[in-house]
Amino acid sequence: MAKIAEQSLQSNGWTDRADELFQQHRQEIYRNTDQLFARLMLFQWVAAIMIAMTISPRTWVGQSSYIHIHIWAAIFVGGAISIFPIWMTRAWPGAALTRHIIAVAQMLMSVLLIDLTGGRIETHFHVFGSLVILSFYRDWRVLISATIVVYLDHFLRGIYWPYSVYGVLSASPWRSIEHAGWVIFEDIFLVISCLRSIREMRFVANRTAALESSEQNFRQIFEEAPIGMAVVGLDSRYAQVNASLCNMVGYSEEELTSRTPSEITHRDDIDKDKQLTQRLLSETTRTCVEKRYVRKDGEIIWATRTACLMRDESGKPRHYLAMVEDITQRKKDAVALEEAKNEAERANRAKDDFLAALSHELRTPLTPVLMSAAALEQEPGIEPELRRQFGMMRRNVELEARLIDDLLDLTRVSHDKLQLLFSGPVDVHSLLAHSEQIVHSDARNKSLVLRLELTANEHHVAGDAARINQVFWNLLKNAIKFTPAGGQITVRTANPTPGQLVLTVSDNGIGIDQQTLPFVFRAFEQGDIRGLQPCSGLGLGLSISKAIVELHGGTIRAESAGPGLGAVFTEELSTVLPFPEAQIQASQPRRFRGKSHRLLVVEDHEPTLAVLTRLLRDQGHDVMPASTVQDALALASDHTFDFVISDLGLPDGSGIDLMMQLSNDYGLRGIALTGYGMAEDLAKTERAGFLAHLVKPINVDQLHRVLERAQVAAG
Amino acid sequence: MEYSVLQVSPRLRSFSLQPRRTKTLFVTALLGLAWTVGIAFGLRTLLAYESTPGTIGAVPRQWPSTSQIERLTNRPTLVMLVHPRCPCTRASVAELAQLMARMQGKVDAYVLFLKPRQSGIEWEDTDLRRSAAAIPSVRILSDVDGVEARRFGAETSGHTLLFDLDGRLLFSGGITEFRGHAADNTGERSIESLVNGRTPARTATSVFGCALVKRSQEGDKPGWLK
Repeated sequence: MAKIAEQSLQSNGWTDRADELFQQHRQEIYRNTDQLFARLMLFQWVAAIMIAMTISPRTWVGQSSYIHIHIWAAIFVGGAISIFPIWMTRAWPGAALTRHIIAVAQMLMSVLLIDLTGGRIETHFHVFGSLVILSFYRDWRVLISATIVVYLDHFLRGIYWPYSVYGVLSASPWRSIEHAGWVIFEDIFLVISCLRSIREMRFVANRTAALESSEQNFRQIFEEAPIGMAVVGLDSRYAQVNASLCNMVGYSEEELTSRTPSEITHRDDIDKDKQLTQRLLSETTRTCVEKRYVRKDGEIIWATRTACLMRDESGKPRHYLAMVEDITQRKKDAVALEEAKNEAERANRAKDDFLAALSHELRTPLTPVLMSAAALEQEPGIEPELRRQFGMMRRNVELEARLIDDLLDLTRVSHDKLQLLFSGPVDVHSLLAHSEQIVHSDARNKSLVLRLELTANEHHVAGDAARINQVFWNLLKNAIKFTPAGGQITVRTANPTPGQLVLTVSDNGIGIDQQTLPFVFRAFEQGDIRGLQPCSGLGLGLSISKAIVELHGGTIRAESAGPGLGAVFTEELSTVLPFPEAQIQASQPRRFRGKSHRLLVVEDHEPTLAVLTRLLRDQGHDVMPASTVQDALALASDHTFDFVISDLGLPDGSGIDLMMQLSNDYGLRGIALTGYGMAEDLAKTERAGFLAHLVKPINVDQLHRVLERAQVAAG
Repeated sequence: MEYSVLQVSPRLRSFSLQPRRTKTLFVTALLGLAWTVGIAFGLRTLLAYESTPGTIGAVPRQWPSTSQIERLTNRPTLVMLVHPRCPCTRASVAELAQLMARMQGKVDAYVLFLKPRQSGIEWEDTDLRRSAAAIPSVRILSDVDGVEARRFGAETSGHTLLFDLDGRLLFSGGITEFRGHAADNTGERSIESLVNGRTPARTATSVFGCALVKRSQEGDKPGWLK
């Protein structure tokens, strides 16, 4: 374990500190043991004198007595032995020489004491006891010094005064070795003990260095953390705070540690703060709260305070740890962002209002033209050329209306407000055939071959028939637009897997290069994509088509082998089961053959009002026109109507208000006929009691169908 | 990491010969020298004193006819002359106790304690006399004014003499071989050999102990004071 710890230390570069701690510890032991021996020396000196005074106080010559030599030996020799080591412990505490002199002195003291006690065997234990005490130094070299003294003492006595130590006149030289051997015997175990102690000290030093380093790291993390950190005692006072927290609240560390968190908390947040603290003690392990602090200068700052309760090993609470992050700027940014968002929404609403108004203003003049052109085109008995001219007028007005619709649709797409009117299973083949009829004349005019290869057996999808038709129409118009004269366009349907309908519109037109291929579904991109002179249209069709297909849960993609190699647009949709045949027949639009209605038509645009009135009367309805709200109310009070067909923007009021009043006063139901086609506009008319919302321009057939539905809905 | 003998630690005390430390070092060297010499001299003096034997008077070859002590005729008789207050003689009495234990009744012993005529009873009332009295087969007698000591030629406490059944002197000397140190010794082993009929190593040994009598002016002081 010690080895692993040491390797870890080396890898972390803490050995210097470990070595320093080890040396400090060893020095401390040396000095403490020096002091121990200083006192022991003094004690032994006094003890030697006491022993001499007890055992041999006086020597005798007949009846005369003198102070025994042992007394003087105890005083002077004992003093000489003791004083110098004691002085060394003062002059050179902890020095190696000091402890070696002490070792020598201690052994000499043993010699003296043994002599003073008449060589008593018991006194020899002083030698062995002294060795043990010397091992307190944990320096095995000291034992060697002591042992050398013991050996020399025995060796020299053996030579000069053998009987004083061995009890025989001529001692064998081996006797001194034998005596020293017993000392060495003890030394061996004391040396082992010393070495083990040194290893343990080294281990402790390494561990301490590691702990110090770890503590220093954690303290540094605490002190230099970029967020405020605090240790709060159970007495609710700050025990420790870091620099970040001090900077945050403007107090010094001393000021903060003499306060409680409540003292620097905004008064409105104090109760919440205390409740969370109580929860930490009883329920949860961590709390996080946004709260306000009051800085020393009075400024209020917002902060996120995360707190947890630290417990000791027995689970007893010790203190709280709090991390405080200043979010004042974030709060300010959030407020600014909210304001900017509101401003943007206001601007967006203004833009929507503008678009709605623009749409209304653009559509309104088209309505009488479209209605008249459509009606005249259907008029029997007119010359073919005139019919063709009326048809041309109708198509161009419809194109104009479609461009306006695209602009509105794009706005809806960008706001995720494009809504689908699911009308049950939609026959894709029928819609494609219908679209082909619409664009057939355009293709023919460019001498294009437009072929339908509708081979899919499953060709019904769930969706909004009008929107799906819009997609098909866009794809076909797009293909016609970018295919040169004499080219070929093929529409195919297939079911590669059951439940999946794949529709492809391929042409051999100008194609799309690889760089621009990913952007074909972006709005306003058509000119850039084709790299040609801008064609007619706004470049919104594909973008809107993609949004519509995705709203139906399908996908649409464009492929091209390159410029001049044509393009393939592929649409994938999930199929559904068709309605039974009878139901399909029932849902087919049919020409209005219903009963005539008494209609109140309110429209401030005089040409539209005139055309609408005339056409409805031609259809057999009893129509009363009004151009203002007041006129309409007056007529309603004097006549009975089945329905009201009303514009929304009227000179003296809103068609919404008119509808609500007519509905309340006369139970009248109505059809909104307006240039406002935004989703909000539809919602408003529905709330006002309108049964349907028609967006200008319209033709009479649309109006008939709506009247038919309105009749059913009104009962 | 090893440091020089007076170096504590390179970080704690970088030892350098600064003026104050140099002075301390010088004093240390002087004191160390004085310490070595002083201790050597002291111990040598002590050991020299302790190894210096006491004097021996005119020892008779036969049991002194003038002696008032009754000599035993059925076994060898051992006589030890003792100064009752001599601390060094504790070792001699201790050795006598061991000797008598080993003799197992083969010898009788007298221990004569010096007693000045004018002294009181407290003179002889010592641990030494009590120790001797506790030894089996040992008779304790007072030797008033050292008369008997002079008859036996004993001038040093602890002087021991052994006489055979006919009163002939077999051994004379001490039964310690170092002042005040009780240990196996030549005198004791010689007495044991003589009693057991073996040839002794020595028939005379040195005696270590206090002087029983004042022989001269110089003799008033112990040897180490002369």
